[in-house]
This record gives sequence, structure tokens and C-alpha cells, in this order.
Amino acid sequence: MGDAIEAARLRRTYRSRTGFIRRRTTEIEAVRGVDLTVARGELFGLLGPNGAGKTTTIKLLNTLLIPTSGTARICGFDVERETREVRRRIGYVFGGDRGLYDRLSGLDNLRYFAELYGVPPRDQKRRIAELLDLVKLAGRERERVEGYSRGMRQRLHIARGLLHSPEVLFLDEPSIGVDPVAARELRRTVADLAATGTTVLLTTHYMAEADELCDRIAVIADGRIQALGTPAELRTHADGRRVVEIEAYGVPDDTVAGLQRLSGVREAAVEARGALQILTVQSDAGVDVQGEVLHALGGVRLGRVSTREPTLEDAYVAIVSGS
Amino acid sequence: MRTLRLLTVGGVIAYRALFNWTSPGMFVGTLLVGPLFQLLFFAYLGRELQVGDDRFFIVGNAVLASSLACVFGGTMAIGNERRFGTLGHVLLSPRSRTAVFLGRALPYAGNGLLIAAFTLTGGALLLGLRIPPGALPGMALALTVGSLSCGFFGLALGALGLRFRDIWVISNVSVALMLLLTGVNVPPSALPGWLAAIGQGLPITHAAAAARLLAGGADLTEALRPLGIEVLVGAAWAVLAALLLKVFEVESRRHASLDTL
Repeated sequence: MGDAIEAARLRRTYRSRTGFIRRRTTEIEAVRGVDLTVARGELFGLLGPNGAGKTTTIKLLNTLLIPTSGTARICGFDVERETREVRRRIGYVFGGDRGLYDRLSGLDNLRYFAELYGVPPRDQKRRIAELLDLVKLAGRERERVEGYSRGMRQRLHIARGLLHSPEVLFLDEPSIGVDPVAARELRRTVADLAATGTTVLLTTHYMAEADELCDRIAVIADGRIQALGTPAELRTHADGRRVVEIEAYGVPDDTVAGLQRLSGVREAAVEARGALQILTVQSDAGVDVQGEVLHALGGVRLGRVSTREPTLEDAYVAIVSGS
Repeated sequence: MRTLRLLTVGGVIAYRALFNWTSPGMFVGTLLVGPLFQLLFFAYLGRELQVGDDRFFIVGNAVLASSLACVFGGTMAIGNERRFGTLGHVLLSPRSRTAVFLGRALPYAGNGLLIAAFTLTGGALLLGLRIPPGALPGMALALTVGSLSCGFFGLALGALGLRFRDIWVISNVSVALMLLLTGVNVPPSALPGWLAAIGQGLPITHAAAAARLLAGGADLTEALRPLGIEVLVGAAWAVLAALLLKVFEVESRRHASLDTL
């Protein structure tokens, strides 16, 4: 039995035209030669910054886009020519509020997509009940979706993606905007799916999620795979580094840029958590930059300062920054 | 059997999901009261200008009344997928596009038939038009054929929604054109030849002519010819809708022209 997902030299160029009298065509290469294989039953992560080509790659694999060049196969079927066979075998879930019929109940949403996705009529009732139990919407299924919370919508998305028991499930940032408890439930559901043999391709911005769930991870940036391996293998990209993490309030952008120019500093990044900012400075392991960094932050209100070993997130930042 | 189920069950669920005017207030106000007042307006105008008798306007406008539900419904049946962000999930279905989308036209045609029957009854009662009881089965057939034909026309317009974002403009213009060109309010003989020719290809035109014949006491066999032409017109719009859906879906994959996700 072959791989669940095979992509070879996959490329996709978008053309957009602007202007009315002087028409101008702009070309954007969203995916620039992606090669990857995902084994059956594998939980594979695709990580990358916004605009890196993750969603375009998924659209190419799930038949919504045709590759400009290169090939892709799902369970052995070509995504460009054998679309019906591919669609029978894939499920697709994406994060966010949209993508459901708000005026219908959760149950009717599932009934409609059960028809569209070819679930035999005699199996529909049982399958929908199973999925409502799985995503913990049993008892709320007759309420209109417009009254659902974001977490409930997300769970309904997952139930919809699983209606026809797909062999390959694409999860495009499924936990975006979901509260921590719901996100944990979601991770458990995804892990259970993979454990029962469903191949999962997951894109996410949450490194902890990828680290916890994925058998292998590809980091994509600028339309190309920059690194591919197990989470442990990817972490080696940050080997030989140490990380200073500083809680701060109101760090100016030019200060961050200045930190990157300090001797021994490899990366400096700021993540906002409400009013609080987490400043992460990666340096060569043999160089202690903490003093210089704190000096450069003179005048900025600081909180806790700590030093730690690199994580997958640090490795990700190192990979993406180096691309 | 499963295709039939997709056409019917799927069509009805999609209707409930995508049609904006299903709430009682919107349904009654927009789809029942509005067309009835339109009928009264043209009937009184016709009396004043002596363009045609009451039967001409009542029967014609009653058949045309289905166009609101069918044209705007067909547009909503596809255009609202963009609004809900569901188009990508629909296009990921392995089922036949023809069955998925043509099935959506059926509830709108049924809705149109209901509206046409209501408008005809209301108009006849208010203006005192007597329709021979023997003509009623034939009239019901004419209204059904007209509504179905108009439903497929609406779906063809809706298919343009896969390519063009501002599809509502086309629907609005189409409804106005039907008012003018279907011979419901302006006899085709009063129109320039090219406009009358366009009217011949629109739904409702021939169903209205057949209904008028029947309401005037003609035998069903006399109405069969315009009814047959209406069936052909409807079938042509259904084929065009299926073709447009196919072409625009392929184009969307090639040129990324849909914000599918």
C-alpha cells in the first residue's frame, strides 16, 4: 500500500490583474516546488508563517486548486485528474467562524453534508450520532448554528470533515481562536483519529500543539519546505543556542531590530500577550548576551527575565528566519 | 435512487440554508403581498390606458409572480455560499454537480408555483375575473411549467455567482427585463423586434401565453404548443446552468477565481 499523500515538485503561481485601461498582470509564486510524502496513518504537521504557502499547499492537495506544475497524489489518485476518487477519500476542516450554514441546526448541517459527501442514507443517522458524541455536541444538535460558540462551531467543522470516514484528513489551523480547554479536547480528538489509522495533515501556528501531536513536521516558508523531520530532529536546528526570555511592556520595533545586531545574537522576536510582550532572544550558547540585552532595553518596563533551553518554537523561528 | 435523494432532500435542506426570505414576515411581504400589488398596479394601469383587459394582466402577472422566488432564489442558492464561506466544502463533494445544483432549483420552483397560484387567486377574487373550472388543471400545468422554467433560469444566473461577485446586479436587471419582455404587461407586438426576440428565450413568456389561452376558455390542446416551447426554454436554461457551473468550477481550480476557503 502506497503513501497517503505524495507531492512532487508542486508549484502554484497566482496571477492577478489590476488596472482598467493599463492592465497589469502580477504573478505571485505561492508554492515553489514542494516535495513531501505522508505515510498512511501518519500525523503530519505543516508549519509556517502567514503567507508561507500552507493553505495553498492544502488547496492543491484537496483538489480545490490545480498545480501550475508538479504532481500530487492522495492514496494513489492524482489530484488534478482523478478528483472524484480523491474527494471520496479526504476530509477538510479549517479554523474560524465561517463555513457552516448559520440558519440551519448543527444536525441539518451534518445531514446536508452527509448527502454531499456520499454517506449512504441507511448509515447517516448512526454516523451523525457517533460524530455528535465524538465532538460533544450531542444534545445541542437541534440548535441553530448561528447561536453556537466558536468552540462549538469548530467541533461541528470536525464532525463534518469526518462524516464520510475519510482516509486523509486536512486540518487547517483547527484550533485558531479556540479556548485552551477546547483546544486540549481538540488535540485529543485529533490524536485519537490518528490512532485509528486516519492520516492527518495539520497546519497550525501553535508549536506546542505540533510538538505534542505530530509524528513529523515540515516547516514551509516562502513557498518551499525549509526543514522536515520529527519534532526532535527539528529541535536540533536550535542546538548550540541559548534563549533569554524577557517579559516586557512597550518594546519599540527599532529596539528589537537593534537587539538583532548585538554580537552573538542569532534571533530576536516579540510575541504580544495582551499588554504583556514576551521578548525572546536566541544567542550562541557560549555567549552570554543577557547583560547587553537588558542594557539595550533601558527605559522599557520589564518583568521576569529567564534563561532556558531552546524549544521547538525556537527551532521554528531559527528555520523561518534563515529561509 | 441516491441521486434522486440528493436532488430532493439535498435541495430542500439547501433551500432552508440559503434562501433569505423564509421567515414568515419576509415570505408574506416580499413574495405574496408584493406580487399581488404589482398585479393590481398593472391591471389598473391597463384599464386606464386600455392596453389590455383584466384577464391579460391578471393571468400574465400571476405567472410572472414566480420569478421573484425563482430568480432571486437561484441567485441565493449559489451566491449565498460565498456569504457563509461554504462553497469550498460544497465543491469538495464527490457527487455530481448537476444533481447537487439542479436539485436546488426545485424548491424555488415549488415556491414560485405557490406564489403564482396565490397571486392568481388573489387577483381574480379582487378584480372579479372568472376562470372556467375546466381550465384549472391546465392553468395549474402552465404555472408549474413556468415556475420550473424560471427556476432553472434563476439557477443559470446563480451560476454566474461562481465567477462574478456582484451577481445581485444581474438578478435585479433580469427581473426588470422579465417584467418588460415576457409579454406579461407589454404585448410582444408592441416591442421592437429584437426585444421581442429576447423575450421568446426568457422563461414565463410561453407559460403566460398558454395560461391566457386556457383562462379564455381554450382547450388544453390549443395550449400545448406554447407549453411545449416553455418546457424547451426551461430545459435550455437547465443545460446552460449545468454547463456554466462546470466551466466556472474548472476555471476556479485553474485560476483560483473563487474564495473557496
